[in-house]
Amino acid sequence: MKHSKRRRLDFLFQGVITITSMIGLFLLIAIFAYVFKQGSGLLSWDLLTSDYYATTYDTYYSDQLGDEVFEKPSHLDESVYFSSKWGIGFSTALDNEGKSYMLIAYIDSNSPLRILPDKNNEGEVVEITENQALLKVIFTNYTIIMSSEGPENAANLFDAADGIIDMITTTSGKGIRGSIITTLYLIILTLIIALPIGVLSAIYLREFAPKKSKIVEILRRLIEMLTGVPSIIFGLLGAAVFIPFTSTFTAADGGNLISGALTLAVIVLPVIITSTDEALKVIPDDFRQASLALGATKTQTTFKVVLKSAIPGILSAVLLSVGRIIGESAALIYAIGTAIKDQIILTERSTSLAVHIWSIMAGETPNFELASAISIIILAVVLVLNLIVKFIANKLSYESRTS
Amino acid sequence: MKTENVFQITNLNLHYGTKQALFDIAMEIPKNQVTALIGPSGCGKSTLLRSLNRMNDLIDNCHVDGLVQYENDDIYDKNYDVINLRTRVGMVFQKPNPFPMSIFDNIAYGPRCQGVKDKKTLNEIVKNALVNSALYDEVKDRLKEAATSLSGGQQQRLCIARAIAMSPEVILMDEPTSALDPIATAKIEELIQELKKDYTIVIVTHNMQQAARISDNTAFFLMGELIEYDKTDLIFSQPSKKQTEDYITGRFG
Amino acid sequence: MTKIEFNKDTKFSMKHNKKTDRIMQNILLIPTVLSASFVLMILIFISQRGVAPFLPSEYGNESVNFLRFITGVTWYQPPNSYGIFFIVVNTVFVVALSSLIAVPISVFTALYIAKMTPKPISKFFQTIIELLASVPSIVFGVFGLGVITKVVLWIASIFGLQTAGGISTLATVFVLAMMILPTITLLSITAINSVNLDLEKNSLALGASKMQTYFKVTLVSAKSGIFAGIILGIGRALGEATAVSMVAGNAGSGPSFDLFSTTRTLTSTMLLGLKETTGLDYDIRFSVGMVLILLIILTNLGLNYLKKKVGRFS
Repeated sequence: MKHSKRRRLDFLFQGVITITSMIGLFLLIAIFAYVFKQGSGLLSWDLLTSDYYATTYDTYYSDQLGDEVFEKPSHLDESVYFSSKWGIGFSTALDNEGKSYMLIAYIDSNSPLRILPDKNNEGEVVEITENQALLKVIFTNYTIIMSSEGPENAANLFDAADGIIDMITTTSGKGIRGSIITTLYLIILTLIIALPIGVLSAIYLREFAPKKSKIVEILRRLIEMLTGVPSIIFGLLGAAVFIPFTSTFTAADGGNLISGALTLAVIVLPVIITSTDEALKVIPDDFRQASLALGATKTQTTFKVVLKSAIPGILSAVLLSVGRIIGESAALIYAIGTAIKDQIILTERSTSLAVHIWSIMAGETPNFELASAISIIILAVVLVLNLIVKFIANKLSYESRTS
Repeated sequence: MKTENVFQITNLNLHYGTKQALFDIAMEIPKNQVTALIGPSGCGKSTLLRSLNRMNDLIDNCHVDGLVQYENDDIYDKNYDVINLRTRVGMVFQKPNPFPMSIFDNIAYGPRCQGVKDKKTLNEIVKNALVNSALYDEVKDRLKEAATSLSGGQQQRLCIARAIAMSPEVILMDEPTSALDPIATAKIEELIQELKKDYTIVIVTHNMQQAARISDNTAFFLMGELIEYDKTDLIFSQPSKKQTEDYITGRFG
Repeated sequence: MTKIEFNKDTKFSMKHNKKTDRIMQNILLIPTVLSASFVLMILIFISQRGVAPFLPSEYGNESVNFLRFITGVTWYQPPNSYGIFFIVVNTVFVVALSSLIAVPISVFTALYIAKMTPKPISKFFQTIIELLASVPSIVFGVFGLGVITKVVLWIASIFGLQTAGGISTLATVFVLAMMILPTITLLSITAINSVNLDLEKNSLALGASKMQTYFKVTLVSAKSGIFAGIILGIGRALGEATAVSMVAGNAGSGPSFDLFSTTRTLTSTMLLGLKETTGLDYDIRFSVGMVLILLIILTNLGLNYLKKKVGRFS
């Protein structure tokens, strides 16, 4: 009697534990499912390569139109309406907010509309390309196309016209090219700053530091404490120290990429030091002794033998750091700012991908689709990096077990 | 025949912290001979070996008193250049420990650390070292391969070649065959016989047959003390001390 | 036998050798001291900026009354009524609730991964938890705003309660619980794995069931390590900013213990509205940062003291 009760209780506990431990898996799947559902529709090459801010072009066509008749290319489907007189095709598309607009789906490379004079800047020209939106056209025969006009009507009106008094087009915008470039800049700059400092510190602490020295123990403790500092506090450090610092020594005025990279460098420093230290720790003393017994100095031993064996560990540190840089938001909001830019200049503000998400979510109307699309990119990179690090670690522990 | 001594050890006492590991050691190591140090584990034979090229310096709170003279210079003199000593007194360790680099780079490592950059000289040094360590024929076509791809016995001969590449005068060997199989061991022993024509060899070994086979002189240690030191044939045929006899007849150890 | 001679006549010089090592040791000290200095820099410079709002010499009549700052229960910019007391209370409340949710889930998950499942499955689950640990805060924020707030809205509707679109204390608690779950789980796995297997065998040999053994022997022996994981998790939760700011709301007064009303934590106070602000309202965020650092240090000390008491027998 007592036994069967115990068994039932055991079974109940086992069930509860098994179900609870599925929560982690469930959450990860839920996060992925959500961002994919929201963002995958938006994820395209165009999103990665286009500017965030739409540019509007105001042009006209006053030359004599030639006799050339353009053919509609066979790869265009029926939704594209083609003007054979001007060599241009239109279709209907939806923008990031879900509104429909008239898209220039195709423009022939010899079309007279390809290069047009800029109405606002005398002497400048404007290039009309595919994926621009057509906002408004006024022809010389005073017919007008508005963007609400269907593409079929627009193509017909183009075919009927001989000249254009005014044509307004706009690029699509909402792209994340600038934020991708900023993120890459931040990764490179941060690693350039943090990697040598971190690796050399780890070498000092493990190979050169006098043993049992109080001061070294204090240094070690202070570095360890960095690990527990929340990233927003690093952001305050960036705002209080690195922004004034860069403003003094560069053309910067306020938050900039360099102050951001310096802040990130402090954030990834403990990662690099710990990871390098772990790698140095497991290198067998045999190597050091064999090298010293050959008459090599400690410096030669460290940089020629020891460091070489620590390279996989340092590589893991780099990958983990890159993951941290890509994911970091709170610190950068303080250390750089939240202004999305298309032209990336080191001494000015711009956003990394993570802060880009913050910028478009923090406003009155959060853009879930774009935020999710960027989240997919961030998640993919971070997860792949983590899996590589795990792979390296497994391989290393396997090798150290077999040798 | 008068023999020349490379090492002269007088009143050597060595402590690890408060624990004394060597007591009043006095012995000479003759040139171009093989001297074997034997004794049970923890008897101080490896410690003595390591005090000959000052590898004990690497151990914290290791303290040395007494005199160790190498070619009449006190190597524990505070102005004595340890690095230079180690280029002249090479060492081979218990476990084969090639560096994680190519076979060539392993052997060229020592000379490179001494500033030898010339490619031709390095090629010559590497080739000589490999020939002299009887490894050349086995690896001559794969010098660029990782040294870790060699078998255990080959790795240990590579480590000997690495030591030879420095053209040392003495080679210290710390149980060089204890991690190897009998065939690889035989090859190393053969090599030691070959090497003693040019080098003075001091070898620590656990294996008494090995000491009997390859050495000219044998020193027996017990609990940090040098019990007996004599010609190998004498030690093994008619030891003068009871402890030595007990040990070599296998009564303890 | 050919020997190649190097320059070996430097027996007594020790010219290059030892000196290079000593010089290198001194060179390497520079980056090490630099790395160690950042913690001090954080303390010094943030304090410097954080004290400024209270100084009449900096802000004249505008300067903040320190006493009102630490006891205040409102946070409004225009009449300059900055009071951090309720924010600290809200922060502690939110973090405590999220740990209450996360700790049992984490410990059970760790037990499952470390003890109750064959190797390939446990490896798979451990990788899942590690991946969850690497998901950046901003992504949790997007998920929180897009999904968790909807869940909260749904829960509220069951009870017939009102919420500001789901942005609430409860949403913050859920998001934080999700974020600290992997931290506590991973450290608990390590702790459980390091329990001596003999203890378990002894328990089983005494006739205890597997479950009894896990709860009465394994978890009890691992409690010190599990506690270390909880401390780390709570530290994370206190400092977590981005995701929290996205779901916490911007409550102007408190403290509020209503799960369905908006709240305000130290970190959300520091992040929200940062873009449009300058002067006093900007500098006061450094004061909030000081309070956050202080709260984290005190919590750590307190929990570590507790850990020592709890871990007395192990």
